[in-house]
Amino acid sequence: MNLLGDFTFSQSSLQDDVDCPRRFELRYLKRVRYPAPETQDMLEFEQLMQHGADFHRLIHQYILGIPTELLTPFADEAPLNLWWRHFLADGLRDVPDEKRLPEMTLIAPLGDYRLLAKYDLLAITPGERAVIMDWKTSRNLPKREWLAAKLQTRVYRYVLALAGDELNDGAAIPPDAIEMRYWYAEHNRVISFPYSEAQFAEDERYLLSLIAEIEERDIFPLTTDDRRCRFCTYRTLCGRGNEAGLLDEYETDFEITLADDFDIDLDQIAEIEF
Amino acid sequence: MPAKKSIRVTKAQQQIVKTPFDQTVFLEGAAGTGKTTVGTRRIRYMFEEKVAPDSILILVPQKALALPYYDELKRKKTAGSQVGVMTIGSLSQQMVDLFWPLVAEEAGFKHPMKRPHFLSLELVQYYMHKIIGPEIDRNGYFNSVTINRNRLFSQIVDNLNKASVVGIPYQEVGERLKSAWQGDETQKHVYDDAQRCMTRFREFCLENNLLDFSLQVHVFIDYLWPMEAPRHYLLNKFRHLIVDNSEEDNPVTHAMLGDWLPQCDSALIIYDTDAGYRRFLGADADDAYRLKAHCDTHAMLDRHFTMSDDMTAFAVEMAETLHHPLEGVKVKRKADALAAIEFPESIRYHPQMVDAVVERIAALIYDEGVPTSEIVVIAPFMSDALRFALMTRLEAYDVPARSHRPSRALREEPAALALMTLAKLAHPAWQMRPTTFDVAHALTTAISDLDMVRARLLVDVLYKKGQLAAFDNIRNAEIQQRITFELGERYDMLRQWIDEYQQEMSPQLDFFWSRLFGELLSRNGYGFHDDFDATRTAANLIDSARHFRQIIGSIDPDAPLAKDYVEMVQRGILADAYLDWQLEDTESVLLTPAYTFLMSNRAVDYQFWINVGSPGWATRLYQPLTHPYILSLQWEQGRKWGDEDELAANQDALYRLVLGLIRRCRERIYLGFSELGEQGYEQRGELLMAIQGMLRRRALEEA
Repeated sequence: MNLLGDFTFSQSSLQDDVDCPRRFELRYLKRVRYPAPETQDMLEFEQLMQHGADFHRLIHQYILGIPTELLTPFADEAPLNLWWRHFLADGLRDVPDEKRLPEMTLIAPLGDYRLLAKYDLLAITPGERAVIMDWKTSRNLPKREWLAAKLQTRVYRYVLALAGDELNDGAAIPPDAIEMRYWYAEHNRVISFPYSEAQFAEDERYLLSLIAEIEERDIFPLTTDDRRCRFCTYRTLCGRGNEAGLLDEYETDFEITLADDFDIDLDQIAEIEF
Repeated sequence: MPAKKSIRVTKAQQQIVKTPFDQTVFLEGAAGTGKTTVGTRRIRYMFEEKVAPDSILILVPQKALALPYYDELKRKKTAGSQVGVMTIGSLSQQMVDLFWPLVAEEAGFKHPMKRPHFLSLELVQYYMHKIIGPEIDRNGYFNSVTINRNRLFSQIVDNLNKASVVGIPYQEVGERLKSAWQGDETQKHVYDDAQRCMTRFREFCLENNLLDFSLQVHVFIDYLWPMEAPRHYLLNKFRHLIVDNSEEDNPVTHAMLGDWLPQCDSALIIYDTDAGYRRFLGADADDAYRLKAHCDTHAMLDRHFTMSDDMTAFAVEMAETLHHPLEGVKVKRKADALAAIEFPESIRYHPQMVDAVVERIAALIYDEGVPTSEIVVIAPFMSDALRFALMTRLEAYDVPARSHRPSRALREEPAALALMTLAKLAHPAWQMRPTTFDVAHALTTAISDLDMVRARLLVDVLYKKGQLAAFDNIRNAEIQQRITFELGERYDMLRQWIDEYQQEMSPQLDFFWSRLFGELLSRNGYGFHDDFDATRTAANLIDSARHFRQIIGSIDPDAPLAKDYVEMVQRGILADAYLDWQLEDTESVLLTPAYTFLMSNRAVDYQFWINVGSPGWATRLYQPLTHPYILSLQWEQGRKWGDEDELAANQDALYRLVLGLIRRCRERIYLGFSELGEQGYEQRGELLMAIQGMLRRRALEEA
C-alpha cells in the first residue's frame, strides 16, 4: 500500500502517473522538490505562465460582475489583449448563465481516496445542463483525440457527475447533461466533449484501475517516452539527461497548463504571519 | 505514524455540534475543554446534513490553528465542494486581488490601472532598508535608541500592522504613543521618528501599488467590506462561519464578524478564556468577548479533558499564587499539585541544569516508554546557544529532537550558503569575492564525497583572486592523489560550468541557480542529487529570489537585482523567514519558545520548563518604538502608562502563559532551574518567585 487514506488525487497527479509513474512517486508520494528548469527558455516560459494566470483572473473578475471597462486596461499587452478581445467576443457564447461558478473546486470519493477537480468555470442551468469551461492559453491548438485522452477531460466530467448535486438544486447531474469545453484563447476556438452514462462508467473503471495500480506498485517505473524527460525537473535524478528541452518543442508535443496541485497545497499551508 | 486517538464527545459538546443551521453560537471555555473538537465535529455534522461545503468559512488567527480542521476535512469522503479556510490576512489578500479594479483609485494607489503587488515579510524588510534606511541616516532618526536596524524596522512594521488590525489611523500612532509616555522628552522624539518612517513607507507603497500586510487589511476592511459588490460576494458565498481562537484575533476582524453574524445562516464562535497570547500582534481577547452579544446562543465548556487530577490541582494552586483564583474548578480530594511537577534539588550552573533535563528526558523515553512526540521543552526564549546545547546533548542520548521556530532561516542552511557562494564566484563583477573557507564549504556541499580537508586542499592551491583554476594546475601528485582524480574531475566540471555560464550570463539569479542545479549539481556525483533536504532548500531559495526579482524588478527594472538579492541575504534581510514547519518530523522531542507552543494549540504528556528563574517569562521584549497595550482598543487615550501598568500587564501575561501551559499538559511538568542563568547571573524571575511562593504556602498548610 503506497497511499495514505487521506490522499487526494487530481487530474494533474493522475496524468503524472499515466505519463511517468516515477514522476508521480517523486512529486506526490515523496514530495520531492527539485528546482531544475522545465524548459531552456525560462523567461519566456515564465511569461506564458504569468499571462495565463492573469487571463484566468480577468475572467474570474468579469464573471463576478466587475465592469469590462475597469478590466480591459489590465489586458493592455500582447498576447493578453488578443485573448481578452476573443473572450469578450466569444468566450461565453452559448454558456448557460443561470448559475456561473468561477474557480470552483469539487471533490468526489474515488475508491478509498478522494478525487479533486478545480474548474475554471462551471455554468449550470439546474435540472437541464452543465457546461465545464476550461480556458486554455497555449499557442498551439491540440488535436481533439489528444484532448480526449487527457485525464483532465475524464476527471472533470466524472467529478461533476458525482459531486455536482449541491450546484443542481440537490439533484445529481446526469452525465448526459454534462459537456466539457476547452476554449483556446489564442485561436478563439472551442473543442467540446459531451458526456454519457457509458463514458462515465468507463471513466470510473479506468480511474479505479489507475489507483489500484498505484496501490500495488512496488516500483514506480520511469516513462518509456523519454521525450517527456526533457521537460521534467527530475530528469537528472532519474539519469535521463541534464538539459531542459526547448519551449517550442514542449508546446508542440505537450501543453502548458497552470498548476492544479490543490491537493499538495492543502498540506503545504505556509503563511508568513506578521 | 501512530494511530490518532479517537475522541468521544460529551452530551454538552454534542448539543453544540447539533445546533440548528440558522443559529449563531458563542462557545467559551478554557484550553483543554474540547472546544476545537466541537468545531471539527460541527463540520462533520454539517457534511452529514448536506450543508454545501463551499458555503462554510473556517476563520482562524493563524494557519497553524487550522490544522485540526484540515485533518477533519481530509477525512471527508463524501462528494461536494470545498470548505474555505482562511485568516484575516489571506482573506484580505484574496479579496483585494479580486476586487482591485473597484477600489484601487479610491484607496489612494497611484497606478490603479496596474496590478497590485503583495509584499511578503522579507520584501517589506527589503523596502524598509532601501527606502527608510537612507531617511534614518539622512535625518539622524532614532539616535537615542540602541537596537539593530532589523529590529528597528520590525517595530515600524509592527506599528503599521497594529494600526491596521486595531483600526487606528496609522497617522495617529506616534501621537498615541506620545500621549501615554511620561518619561523624558527624548523618547517622544523616537515616537515622532517612528511616525515619519511609517508615513514614508505607506506613501511609497501607495506610489508603487505595493501592499504589505497592514495595507491589505486596511484596503479590505476600510474599502472593500463596506462596498456593495465585494461584501455581497462574501456574504453570499459563506453562509456558515466557524471562527476558532477568536480571542487571538484582532478588533477589525471582530468588527467584521460583528457585522457578518446577523447576516449569516449559522456561526460557531469559539473563545478560549484566559488566553490572548497574540496581544503583541494586535490580538484583543476583551474585544473578542463582545462577539458574544451578537450570537443567538451562548455555551460554555468547563470539563477539562487534558489535565490529570494532579495537574488540575497544580493549575488551581498556581492561579491562586498569581492572584487569579480559578472559579468553579473542582480539585479531587486525592489530587496533589506537587505530584504534577518535578522541581530538582538546587543546581548551581546552567549547563548542569541542561544536563539534568536531558537525562530526565532520556529516562522518560528509555525507561518509561514515553513517545518522543509527547515531550516538549519550553523556554521563554529559545536562544541559538540553548537550542544547540539541548540538541547536542539529546543527540548524545540518541533522542530525536526538533526545534520549533515559526520560521527557518534559509540563509543559514548549508545548501543555501553553497549556492550563494557559487553565485558570487560566477559573478565577479559584483565584487563580492567569497573567502577561501566559504569556497571550500560550498565545494563540500556541491560535490559528493568531498570532505572539508580535501576541499581545503583544493581551494588552497586552486582558488586565487576570486577564480577557480583547473585541477591539473595542482603540480604536486601527492596532493592530487589525496583529493582523488574522480573528485578532481567533478570539481573541473563545476569550474567549467561556471566558465561557460560567464560567457552568457543571465540577469536572473533564480534562473542561474535553477540551471546550475538542473544541469550540474543534481547530477549523480554532486551534492544535491538525492539529498532532498538540500533540494528543498535550493527550491525555497530559488522561490525567494524569483519573488524578489518579479516584485522589485517590476518597480525598478534597472535595479541590479541579482547582486542586491545576495547582499540582502547576507545582511539577514532576505531569506530569513521561510516557513517549512509542515515538513517537520513530529516523532521527536520538541524544543520551543513558550508562546510558539501555546499558539500551536496542542497538548502533550510531559513539559520541561527551562530557565524558570528567567525574568523573560513575565517581562515584555524591549520595544522602544511600539507598545502592544497602548496601541489597543482597551487603552484609554491620553492616559499615561506607568510602572503599575507595567507590573499589572506582566503579572497578567505570566498568569495567562502559565495557565495556558499547564492546561496543555497531561501528566507532569519538570521545572528546570539553575541558580545562575544562561548568562551567569543569579536568577530571580517572577515565575520562580511564584513557584516558590506556592511551595512555601503548601509547606505551611501541611505543617
